[in-house]
Amino acid sequence: MKIVSCFSDLKELEPLTGAGAQEFYTAVSTLPAFGPGFLSGAALKPAIKRVHALGKKIALAVNAIYAPATVKKRAAIMERIRELDDLGMDAFIVSNPYIIGMFSDRARPLRAKLYLSSVQPVFNSLTAAFFAGRSGFSRVILPNQLTPSEARKILAFCGERGIETEIFDYRFFGCPFVNGRCQLHRPDYYTLRSALPEGSLCRINAKPGALVKIGSLETPARAGELPGLVKRLTFRLTCGRAPRLSNAATFFDFFRSGVQYFKYGTRRDPPEIKVRKVRALRSMLDLAEGFSSSLPQEEARRAFIKEMDKWDGSGF
Amino acid sequence: MIEKGIRLGTMTLEDLENSGGLGAAVRGFSWFYLGPEFCENLLDASVCEEAVRLQGLGRKICLLTPMLSEKGARLVDSVFKKLLRLVRRGRLDAKRLEITINDFGALELAKRNRLPFRLNAGRLLYYNVFEGAGDWLKIHNGLALKFFRELGITRYELSTTGIRPRTNFGRGRIYGFDPRSFKVTLYYPYLNLTSARACMLGMPYVPPEESAGGVRCARECRICPFEINHPSIKEKLVLRGNTVFLHFPEKFYGSEKDLAGLRVDRLVYCPFP
Repeated sequence: MKIVSCFSDLKELEPLTGAGAQEFYTAVSTLPAFGPGFLSGAALKPAIKRVHALGKKIALAVNAIYAPATVKKRAAIMERIRELDDLGMDAFIVSNPYIIGMFSDRARPLRAKLYLSSVQPVFNSLTAAFFAGRSGFSRVILPNQLTPSEARKILAFCGERGIETEIFDYRFFGCPFVNGRCQLHRPDYYTLRSALPEGSLCRINAKPGALVKIGSLETPARAGELPGLVKRLTFRLTCGRAPRLSNAATFFDFFRSGVQYFKYGTRRDPPEIKVRKVRALRSMLDLAEGFSSSLPQEEARRAFIKEMDKWDGSGF
Repeated sequence: MIEKGIRLGTMTLEDLENSGGLGAAVRGFSWFYLGPEFCENLLDASVCEEAVRLQGLGRKICLLTPMLSEKGARLVDSVFKKLLRLVRRGRLDAKRLEITINDFGALELAKRNRLPFRLNAGRLLYYNVFEGAGDWLKIHNGLALKFFRELGITRYELSTTGIRPRTNFGRGRIYGFDPRSFKVTLYYPYLNLTSARACMLGMPYVPPEESAGGVRCARECRICPFEINHPSIKEKLVLRGNTVFLHFPEKFYGSEKDLAGLRVDRLVYCPFP
């Protein structure tokens, strides 16, 4: 597995390389990209040069799902993409079908590779087949809400066609809601009473008592389950966390199943946090590789999970 | 003329009949929306027989399909094959049945099964073409519409809370599209804000040593929806299973003329989120 790290400033590249990053990706505000944290557009050309001088590859996220563009703007986007392609950008990360279509123009193919973003989530091998049949993807970035067991057919499909796969580090990207299909960060849908903690509805800063109310009962025979469900929901919406499909065990199983890339992608993190997180990715990968090469697989898995159970997330 | 539909959601046709509401629903709505829209754990092939029965009562059917893992894709495949058998036997009229797609995998399955039904882009896919908010609604551009048109999709399903949202439909030429080339189905009075795979309500915690096989639940979402009084916003949020909705019970459009301006020719009432 190779480590892919985000960056949003040229100064971050060397320290991230030192921490273990083997590939980079970024985004610029002048091209449609998902999520906050941008490199300045003017820094892209030097970034390509510097990343290549470090012997690494660089990808650019053009992965916004919401990407309104007039005919004129669309042409400008494509012109910029071709410039970046000529400058040596190694890959573009895409999600919206119309952008995928623009980048897959068979008459004027790009030299750079195309990666399918997790913002256009692939939860089944049919979706992988759907997009593979319409464009020349060389990598699929898997959503974090997918288990290794569920991903088996996707990995087999990609493996047979030479399509690479990539996963996120479960410790640093754990949103329970499906990426790219979430409106909780869109305050234009609701009326604010007070500022949202961390700018999103999913961070609920409430006292448990009055948060959850039972709606109209539709299955009276199961009314006995309601107190437990209210308690569970209240916990998950306040001090607790939503259930997650990704954990140390899923990481190890993905690692064993041959996924090639391992991503850290919080572009808005400060530079020092980025470096510490990439180091944490490297340590976890070393641990998995170490156990895997020295112990029988089941034992390696148990030892890895036991070790990762001690991992302290504070300070990130 | 605006068509009117009803989405049964977690309610089965039998539930509707037992509640005494079937007659009124058949009289009031020409379209029945059946099947799970957001969660594959609710997929059930019995929906095919419900479609047959409702067509027999003179109603048109739209079958909703959710996000799919491999498990869900197998179930949807078997539902598609059953629908095809019913059409071949003359028990279902293909012209009065539509399928709503919420996962590109389902679109691939529709193609492989050569479904004779009209396909729609559902409330988990429309954002590939539209960007909406409370008071505006925009089409990304003509290429986005073209991508879906080439797959046989010209109808998009969405919810919007605005009374008269501003659109870019009148500037279609600048964005490279013809506003007559698509239609919109509008759901009300709940707007789906977000969906998870690991269900907030039903899924138990996964211990660190366990790699979950998939999303397990006991279909707790069938018991009832839950209202969430979020301290930071005025509106009421409603959680049903893996999806959080915004409830907007007030009238959300001015007139049929306003709806026509939005290319809306079908309204779908959801008695439950």
